[in-house]
Amino acid sequence: MATKISDKELLTLIKDRLSEDLHSQKVIDQLNDELKEMNSKLEASEAMKSHFISNIANEIINPFSSVLGLSKAILAVDRENWKKVISMVALIHTEVFNLDFQFRNIFMAAKLEAGEESPSVLNVDMHKLIENVIDSFKIESKKKKIKIKHVFQGEHNFKTDPEKMKLVISNLMSNAIKFSFEEGDVEIIANHEGNTLNISVRDYGIGLSEKNRLTIFDRFNRVDTGINSNNRGHGLGLSVNKAIVDMLSGSISVESELGQGSCFTISIPEIDVPELGYAPNADETFFDLSEDAEIF
Amino acid sequence: MHTMNNLVITHYLFPAELFAEAQPHVVSTVLGSCVAVCLYDTKLQIGGINHYMLPLWNGTGLASPKYGNIAIIKLLERMEKLGSNKANLVAKVFGGGDVLNKTGSSSSFSIGKRNAQLALDMLAEHKIPIIAQSLGGNHGRQILFNTQTNEVRQKYV
Repeated sequence: MATKISDKELLTLIKDRLSEDLHSQKVIDQLNDELKEMNSKLEASEAMKSHFISNIANEIINPFSSVLGLSKAILAVDRENWKKVISMVALIHTEVFNLDFQFRNIFMAAKLEAGEESPSVLNVDMHKLIENVIDSFKIESKKKKIKIKHVFQGEHNFKTDPEKMKLVISNLMSNAIKFSFEEGDVEIIANHEGNTLNISVRDYGIGLSEKNRLTIFDRFNRVDTGINSNNRGHGLGLSVNKAIVDMLSGSISVESELGQGSCFTISIPEIDVPELGYAPNADETFFDLSEDAEIF
Repeated sequence: MHTMNNLVITHYLFPAELFAEAQPHVVSTVLGSCVAVCLYDTKLQIGGINHYMLPLWNGTGLASPKYGNIAIIKLLERMEKLGSNKANLVAKVFGGGDVLNKTGSSSSFSIGKRNAQLALDMLAEHKIPIIAQSLGGNHGRQILFNTQTNEVRQKYV
C-alpha cells in the first residue's frame, strides 16, 4: 500500500534532494580546485628541484675543484714557503668546512623527507653548544672581520636534540655571516625561561624584502642577491631549520628590513616525554637487567 | 654510548627509531603500548630492532618508522643492506601492553593489542618465524637486546 504524501511534504522532499545535489556539486568543485592548486604546486616544486640540482652541482663541484687545485699547488710549493702553504691550507679548510655543512643539510633534508628522523633527546648544555657553533665559524667570521656577540640568559641545561639544534643554529649563523657587511656585528641572544628556549640570531647586513620574507622558509628557495653575488647556497638551510623546529614542536620567525639586517628567532619547548607513559632521562637509558630478568 | 663489561657497545633506542648495525651492540629500550621487533640473522649473527608506536601509517604525512607497517619493512631493508638473507632471519617480539588501562576494563582503542597483532601478521606474511614473544599485559617493559647472541632480557616496570 502506497503511503500518501501531502503536497507540502513532497515539496520539502524535493527541496532537500535538490540542496543535497547542489551540495555535492559544490564539494566536487572544491575538490577540483584543490587538485588544480596541488598540480600547480607540484609543477613549482619540480622547477625548484631542477634549480636545486644545478645549484647543488655548483656548490659541490666548485669546492672540490678548489680543494684539488690547492692541494696540488701545495705539493709544488718551495720548501721554505710556509706562509703560502698556510694560506692555502686555510682555504682548503674553509672549502671543506662548507662542504661538510652543506652535506649535513642535504642529508638531514633527505632523512626528514623519508621520515627517518625523530628527536634524540638529551640534557644539553645549550650555552656550550652555541659557543661551539660560534667557534666553528671562527675562520668565516674572521675573513669578513665580523664580531660575534653571545648572550645567554637563564639555566644552561635544556632537554632537546643537540645534533638538530646545532644544525639549526649553524644554519642561522652561516646566513648571518653570509649576509652581513664587512666588519659587521652578529648577535646571538638566547633566553631560557620556564620550559621554553628562545634563540635570536641578528645581523645588520643586507636584509630581506617583504616578498622574500614570506617565501624564505620554502625548500630550495634562495634569495636572489644579484648575478655578481658571492653568496652561495643551496637554499636548503632555512627549510631544514623549519622542518627541524616543527619536529621539536617549536616555531621560527623572522623580522627584517631591506638594508637593515635580519633577525631570526626560534622558540622551542623543552622535550620531556618521548613516549606515552615512560620518559627515561638520558642517564636512565641503560638499565641493569643482569638479575631478575626474564630471558628470551 | 658506554660499554658494558668493556665488551659490548650499548645503544638506547628511542621510540620511532630503528637500529641495525653489523657491529655487536646491546640495545636498550622501554616499551609501553609500543612494540619492538628484534630480527636476528642466524647465519651472520647480527641483529636489528625497531620500536614503533602506532600500527598503521595512514598514507598521509611522513611515512615514519613511528608506524609498525613502515618500521618492520624498514628494519627488514636495513638487515638486507647488512647482507642478511630473509630466509635466515628469526624474530622476537615484545611490548604492546595496555599500560594506560590498569583496571582491566576493555578499551576500544587498545593501541597495544593492535601494535602486537600487526607484528604477528607482518612477520607471518614475510615468513619470518617468531621464536620468542612477550606481548600484552598491563605493564611496561624494559628490554635489553644483544644483537650478537640474540639474547633478550626483559623486566616489567
